[in-house]
Amino acid sequence: MRPPVGIMGILLALGVVNVGSGKEKPFPAPEASQLSEAYSHVPMPPGFKVIPTELEGPVFADSRGRTLYKWPIASLRNGYAGDPKDKSVCEDKVTTKTGGYMSPYPDGLDLPDLDRRKSCVAEWAPVLVDAKAKPVGDWTIITRSDDTKQWAYDHHALYTSYLDHAPGDVMAGTATFRSGGDTPAERMPVGPPPAVPPGFLVETTVRGRMLLAEKRLSVYVSDNDARNASNCNDACALIWQPMIAPATARPQGEWTIIKRSPAVRQWAFRKKPLYTYARDEVEASLDGSEVSGWHNVYTQLAPAPPKPFSIQQTINGDVLADSRGMTVYFYTCGDDSADQLSCDTLDSPQQYRLAICGGGDPARCQRLWHYVLAAPEAKSNSRIWTVITIDPQTGRAAQPHQPGALRVWAYRDRPVYTYAGDRQPADFEGNALGEWQGRRNGFRAFWIRNELFSRG
Amino acid sequence: MKSLSNRAYGMALCAVLATTGLGSTRLVNADETTSQLRDRSIGYVTTDLHWSVYQTPNLSVDCPDGLNGNGPRETFKALFPQGGPVETTQLAREGLKVFPQDKQAQFPYILAKGPVAIGLNLDGKVGPNDFVSPTGETGINNQFFRVIGCNAQFRSPDGQLQLFANKLIRSFGFDRIMIEITQVDSLVNADNVEVTIYRGRDPLLLDATGEKVAPGGSQRVDMHYGKQLIQHMHGRIANGVLTTDPIEGVWPWAIYFDVPTVLHIHDMRLNLKLSSTSADGLIAGYTDVDSYYHWLTSWSTHHLAYGRLDPSEFYWALRQNADAYPDKDGAMTAISSAITVNMTQVFIEHTDANPAEPVQRTADAAH
Repeated sequence: MRPPVGIMGILLALGVVNVGSGKEKPFPAPEASQLSEAYSHVPMPPGFKVIPTELEGPVFADSRGRTLYKWPIASLRNGYAGDPKDKSVCEDKVTTKTGGYMSPYPDGLDLPDLDRRKSCVAEWAPVLVDAKAKPVGDWTIITRSDDTKQWAYDHHALYTSYLDHAPGDVMAGTATFRSGGDTPAERMPVGPPPAVPPGFLVETTVRGRMLLAEKRLSVYVSDNDARNASNCNDACALIWQPMIAPATARPQGEWTIIKRSPAVRQWAFRKKPLYTYARDEVEASLDGSEVSGWHNVYTQLAPAPPKPFSIQQTINGDVLADSRGMTVYFYTCGDDSADQLSCDTLDSPQQYRLAICGGGDPARCQRLWHYVLAAPEAKSNSRIWTVITIDPQTGRAAQPHQPGALRVWAYRDRPVYTYAGDRQPADFEGNALGEWQGRRNGFRAFWIRNELFSRG
Repeated sequence: MKSLSNRAYGMALCAVLATTGLGSTRLVNADETTSQLRDRSIGYVTTDLHWSVYQTPNLSVDCPDGLNGNGPRETFKALFPQGGPVETTQLAREGLKVFPQDKQAQFPYILAKGPVAIGLNLDGKVGPNDFVSPTGETGINNQFFRVIGCNAQFRSPDGQLQLFANKLIRSFGFDRIMIEITQVDSLVNADNVEVTIYRGRDPLLLDATGEKVAPGGSQRVDMHYGKQLIQHMHGRIANGVLTTDPIEGVWPWAIYFDVPTVLHIHDMRLNLKLSSTSADGLIAGYTDVDSYYHWLTSWSTHHLAYGRLDPSEFYWALRQNADAYPDKDGAMTAISSAITVNMTQVFIEHTDANPAEPVQRTADAAH
C-alpha cells in the first residue's frame, strides 16, 4: 500500500487549504497547574494517605506513597474481565493463553514472551491487610483465593503497580486514554471524592481535572465578573446561564454562594461565579471557551507538554503536535489474557506494537513511526512528561551509554510518536491504526480537544 | 436569466391562477420550486449515505455465485486450524490489515456479475465493463459495485456496514455535511448554479417521531474546524435534477466513534433530485482506494466479521478492480463508485462565517 496521502495533503492539492492553515494554539497557562484539587476527607485505615497527582487529582496511597488502583469488572465482547465486587481475580499465576475476550479471534492462543511474562500479582501487587487492621468507612477487607487478606475501597480490591516509582506517580492505569468501549478492562487510580457540592463532578482529561455539572454539562467562568459577584445579566444570562444554588446549599471550602437577587443564589468556585453555556451541544464541551473572556473550569490543570510541543487545529479538533506541527500519537495496548495486562510499556512484549507499526518488521516500523526526539538540553518538567532513553531497534529502554540509543519524549513513561503517513501539519492518518481502532493495540492521535466530533 | 424568467413566469402564473380561482395544484407546484429559497439559495444537510448497491431479491442476477463467505473468522480458521502463538496468528492478521499489500489474496473473492448498477457515466463513454443503470442509461461506471455487491456488509436491509455507517451520519458532528446551492431561482431549471459544501455544526431537527429528519431546521456553518472542508462546485438544474461538474473532492464520513475518516474522491460530482424539502441522488466519482481502505478499516476486525469481510482479502479485490488514476507503475489507484445520498432541506446560517479568530485559551485555567 502506498503511503496514504493525508487529509490536509488532499485539501492542499485541491487548493482548499493553504500551507500551515492547521493553526497552532498555545497551551493553558502552566502556572495554574500548581493548583491542586480539594477533596472530601473520608475515614482511612492507618498507614494510608491521600496524595496529589499531576494527572488524576488526589489519590489514595499506601505508606510508601504508592498510588492505589482498582480493576473493576468490565463487559468485553466475549465475556467479563476484572474484579467483581468484593473479590480479586488477579492471581499469582502466569497466564499463558489468550482468553478470546475480543472477537473474532478464538481463545487459547499462546501469549508472547512466556519466559519473561509476569503474573497479574507481579504487576499488580494486592494491598494486603495487616493482621490487626479493621474495616473503616468504605474500606473493607476481602479474602483472596490464597486466604490472604486484601484491602478494598468501595467494594473494589486495591493494588499497587510496579510501574509507579515515586509518590504521586500514576503511570500504571487510567481510563482517560482508552475510553469509548472495547478497551481492555482498565485499571485506574482510586481516590477520595472531590470536594464539590451535589450536582457537580470532576473528570480527568488530558487538559486537567475538568469541573462539570450534572449530565456532564460544562461549567464556565467569566473574566468580566468580579470576585464573588456576577456581571452577567439580562441577555448575557440567557446565553450564560447562572448555576443556581438551591436554598439548602451552603458554602464549603472553595465554594461560595453569591446573591444575584434576594431570592436567587448562584454557585461560585474560587470566588468566580459559575455558568453553563446555552449553546453547548455536547457533553464536556469546550465550546464556551472559544468565546472571548469565558473559560472552562478545572480544579487543577494537567502539566503542559514541554516546550517543543504545540497544539494543532485539525478538521477533527485540536491535536498535540511536535515542533513542526505534525500530529503526535501515543501507542496503547492491553493483551487478551484473563489478566488484561498492559502491552504498551517498555518492558512488555513488543510483538503487539511491531505488528501494527510495521507488520512485524522493525525496520518498517522505524520508517513509519518516529519517536519525538528530545533536544540534548531538554528536561522533564513533570512526572507525566519525561525524557527517556530508548533502543529504537527493540523499542525497549536503552542500557546506559548504549550506542544508537535515542533520547525521546514520553508521556506516562511511554514514548510518543509522529507518523510518516502524515504529510502536512493537521494530518492524522495514523489515528486509530490497530486492533479495535487502536483502543486495544494501536496508535491514537493525542487529541487535546475533539469532543465536538467524536460522538453524537 | 433563464432562471429569473422561470421565476417571473411562476409568480405571474400564481397571480393569474389565484385571481381566477383555478388550479390550486399549479399554485402548489409553483410554490414548491421557490418556497425555501432565501436570497436565491437553498441548503440541504446530509441525513443518509449508502454505497450504491443494486440487488435482486434472490441473488440470481447480481450474485449468481452467492455471497462472499471468507470473513476474518473463516480465514483465521482455515489458516490456523490448530491455533498457535498470538504473534503469528492474531497479530499477523491484524498486521496484515494495516499492511495488506504484504501478502497477495489467499482466498477466492466473489464479484458482482449482473449488468445493472446504480451510478453515473463518469467518463462519458460506453465501455465493455460498464453497467446499465436501473433506468436504462448505459455507460455506468461503478466498478466498486463489482467489489461490494456480493458482500453481506453492503446489502440491504441488514448489511451491518450499510446500516451503521449510515446511522452515524445523523449523530456524528463530524459527518454533518451540507450543500448550499446559490444563484438559483427555481428548483426545476437553472442553468448556472454554484454549490458549496460545508460542514454544519448543529444537531439535526427531528420530527415528532424522533426518527426522521424534518426540513426547515437551521445549521450554522462550521467555520472553525470545518473551514478546511469547504469545497465549491459549479452546476445546473434541469427538470429538477442538480448536476455538478467534477472536482477533486473529499467527503468526510466517520463511521465509528472517535475515528474521523475522510473519503478522497477524484472527479467527484453530485446528481440530486431536488425538492423544497429534500435532495436525493448520488455522489459519484473515482474513490481513492487507499482512502477508502482507511475508511473501511476504521471498523474493527470484529465488526468486519459481521459481513464476512476479511480486510486484507477485500483490499486485493479493490485493487484488482480499480479502474482509474494509474500510478507511475500503471497500477490503478482509484475505483469508480457511487454513494446514494439523502439530504433534507435546512436553512444555512452564515452568522459564524467570519468569526474572530478562535480565542486563545491562554487563561483557560484552574479558576
